[in-house]
Amino acid sequence: MKIESQVLKKLLTLNGEKERLKELLRERLNECGWKDEMKSFTRKKGRNNVTVDDLVHLITPKGRAAVPDSVKAELLQRIRSFLHSTAL
Amino acid sequence: MSAPDEIITSDHTQLASHFFGELLDSVIMDVASECHRIARLGLDRNLDDEEEELRLSAEARARIADPSNSEANSKYVVDIFGQTHPAVAAEIFDCMNCGRSIVAGRFAPHLEKCMGKGRKARVKATRSSTAAAAHNR
Repeated sequence: MKIESQVLKKLLTLNGEKERLKELLRERLNECGWKDEMKSFTRKKGRNNVTVDDLVHLITPKGRAAVPDSVKAELLQRIRSFLHSTAL
Repeated sequence: MSAPDEIITSDHTQLASHFFGELLDSVIMDVASECHRIARLGLDRNLDDEEEELRLSAEARARIADPSNSEANSKYVVDIFGQTHPAVAAEIFDCMNCGRSIVAGRFAPHLEKCMGKGRKARVKATRSSTAAAAHNR
């Protein structure tokens, strides 16, 4: 599966679909307040000498869990249609 | 020989999930970068103040809306500057018409009599003058 996932990633990057999908994901996460939730979460944790790594480790578990099911479903659907259309 | 459809679908689902996970991690990285920048530049200090302000306003509104507060504590209600006001304004100053020392909270009724605007004030004067006039005849 590793090779296939790399191929998929390459394909999607090359045809620009990866960027479009990322943009779509960002848009949906903004709309539902996910980004604001993450931002206020990091503010609560204070600002003393945090590194980007610290923040990534802080946000990741909460961020992954907080994605609304509908958003995830929409993105997965689009990726799957691409897979289907390219007969991967 | 092509694989049966179920295998293809499950592969697709796995691939899609894996790719989605990568997309999400990438978005999380961007958000973390942004928050890091904001924190290091101190751009969120205003937001903290705003949040505090919103919280205090909400609290004040809740206190006003709460019926158990209104009667008993009306004298001790605090305004947005944190000041309390007595029911009757207590400041004393001089009336510009007659020069007497008046309590601000009683100024309006005083003015009524003082400037002869009220009914009673003028009627009194008329009665006594007509009474005096009648007497003198």
